Amino acid sequence: MNEHYRPPPGTLIEDLDTPCLIIDMDDLDNNIDVIASTYAGTTAKLRGHAKNHKTPAIAHRQIRRGGTVGGVCAAKVSEAEVMIHGGIASVFITSEIVEPMKIDRLCSLADQAELLVACEQAANARDISKAATARGVEIGVIIELETGLRRCGVREIDQGVALAKEIASLPGLRFRGVMSHQTIPDMPDREDRAVEANRAIKGVIDLKDAIEGQGIPMDIVSTGETWSYDVAAEIPGVTEIQGGSYLMMETHYSYMTEFHYAGKILTTIISTPRPGIAIGDAGVRAVSSLSGMPTVFDRPGVTVETMDSDHSVFKTEAGASLKIGDQVLLIPAQQDAMVSRWDRFIGLRKGKVEVVWDIQARGCHN
Amino acid sequence: MERPIFQPVGTPVEELDTPALVLDLDVMDKNIQTFQGYFAATTSKARPVVTSHLCPQIAHRQLDAGGTVGGIAVTTLGEAEVFANSGFDDILLANQVVTVSKIRRLCALAAQASIGIAVDNLDNAQQLSSGAVAAGVELQVLVEIDAGMGRCGISPGVEALKLTQRVDGLPGLKLVGIMGSVPGPKGGDDPSEHESQTKANLQVILDSKEAMEQGGLSIEVVSVGGAHCYAQAIQMAGVTEVRAGRYPLMDHRLKSFLPELNPAAKILASVISHPIDGMAVLDAGHKATAPDQGRPVLEGIDGAEATRFSAEHGIVELEGDAQSKLNPGDKAWLVPYELGASVNQYDYFRAAKNGKLEGFWPISARGRLA
Repeated sequence: MNEHYRPPPGTLIEDLDTPCLIIDMDDLDNNIDVIASTYAGTTAKLRGHAKNHKTPAIAHRQIRRGGTVGGVCAAKVSEAEVMIHGGIASVFITSEIVEPMKIDRLCSLADQAELLVACEQAANARDISKAATARGVEIGVIIELETGLRRCGVREIDQGVALAKEIASLPGLRFRGVMSHQTIPDMPDREDRAVEANRAIKGVIDLKDAIEGQGIPMDIVSTGETWSYDVAAEIPGVTEIQGGSYLMMETHYSYMTEFHYAGKILTTIISTPRPGIAIGDAGVRAVSSLSGMPTVFDRPGVTVETMDSDHSVFKTEAGASLKIGDQVLLIPAQQDAMVSRWDRFIGLRKGKVEVVWDIQARGCHN
Repeated sequence: MERPIFQPVGTPVEELDTPALVLDLDVMDKNIQTFQGYFAATTSKARPVVTSHLCPQIAHRQLDAGGTVGGIAVTTLGEAEVFANSGFDDILLANQVVTVSKIRRLCALAAQASIGIAVDNLDNAQQLSSGAVAAGVELQVLVEIDAGMGRCGISPGVEALKLTQRVDGLPGLKLVGIMGSVPGPKGGDDPSEHESQTKANLQVILDSKEAMEQGGLSIEVVSVGGAHCYAQAIQMAGVTEVRAGRYPLMDHRLKSFLPELNPAAKILASVISHPIDGMAVLDAGHKATAPDQGRPVLEGIDGAEATRFSAEHGIVELEGDAQSKLNPGDKAWLVPYELGASVNQYDYFRAAKNGKLEGFWPISARGRLA
């Protein structure tokens, strides 16, 4: 399936059929190396989020370079399945899994790799316990605390402590710890980010302390994300950071200049209907507009005016004209919604194809 | 690839592994009959735009139902390749193809099927001509006119006439006519205002045709799009085909403009959390719904509204009696706002009849954006 476009190694960027999703390999390696060196001497390590790349080859590349816990996060059971089939030894599903069919599928993975799952309710813990016991496997359970995203997670410390007691008492489950996830507006200053991270992550540390105070041990405190990757690791008690966006990067984190824009959409100008306007062959089906419109990369005077399903309208200032056949690179406001639309990454180094990676967990919504 | 659990035929749809894009075949067939029925006695016929569903099986049903020109329209070359492989022999690629590599692919396809292509630039037409001559094929060319989209297409009037005169007679190309797209309704547009604007936009295309014919050119085909303009287009003499994509499956965006059609494709999601009063969280987020151009609409529960879609989660706000509804494990139905975007996130329609699974229909052209 989907063997429609796979340029051979050595193909020049100018010769690629567009639109396509490319990775600049030098930038990707830079981003992975920043993580490896940041966590070289810290207790906390990265557990990279696989929802951002959906590609086992990339997960292995992160793990090999170092600074990680040796496993990944996944958002969905089917995504975890792809990572485990791809040889990843430990997967933490950071969403609640509640349907019986999915719980069975989760348990069927647990004898192939270490499997951890987020939990917020006792009834769900009991359902997983039953299924795990029936299959004779053990599932690691991590309690999710809500800290500002206004979606899943326990709201109160007491709620979390009661749930931890229940999980610790259930067969087939091993209580492993606590998690939280949070987002912030742009915050370029490291000191500001440190203050914000301490504030956001305090909740999960308080929950950890309260649970341990009841004599229930844990070994995982998973929190943080790209914006707090450095400052969260300095907070005592944090064991894992859930970073993902840093890998391909997105304009949302433009202030984090240590990370480079690795993942981009390559698009071609197909029409120049009037002066100052050029039409590109990538629309929102190619890029996604989650968190905002994409931005033109490294082409002064050219901006995205509008986008519809399969076209982008570029505005060009005087002196920045575009002609039919020109290529333009787009970088996303939010990168994982973009990646999830593509079947493969075309990895380029110095403008030549080095590798083509299948995005094996593309479409893994289940 | 999507990795759903492939449940047996006959499974009640509400028991499907979620998120699932469920297609009600009876609703779809009725939509096809209704919409294509509008063209039963008209000179102009429908040309289904398959970009909206990307599924050859649905396109075959459309052509079997009558009222069409017997061919389809696509938006990308990759889509054209998939549909040619599925047996379609009259394909209009209603877009520009400009690079050497893609022109080569396009001409290879023209050896298998009749391929129409939109042109809005003379250099591009000359490149297509050279490509076709080198491949020993003929491309059917439609000059694209900008009829209000502000996108591709040459300006109507003198410029369009000049380009068309130059395209006519280029070797390897057969000038068959002109095409244009007129803007569809956006949320909040007033239907009667939109209707008069649509007529004016279509008239621009027809005026261009007249000018070209007076200039001695033969314009066999006047192709206009999309589904939202059919009612005006079929009343305007000279339009030969209406490119229409959304009508078989429908979506929320077009619902108030085509009220006689009903949504046939909906996303089934499961509630994974009901963490506080007044809120439920679905397992279908941005990736499973693609709300880029508008949020999907939660159907069937008064007081429940899907208000936020983060990458993996959909957030439903609950008011009044709905506050106690949508608990973990419960199902919810989402009607896509923009059909083509949602369909492009899935590899299979879960085709269903009378609430039971009939089969998994491959969305074969999913992701063929190049």
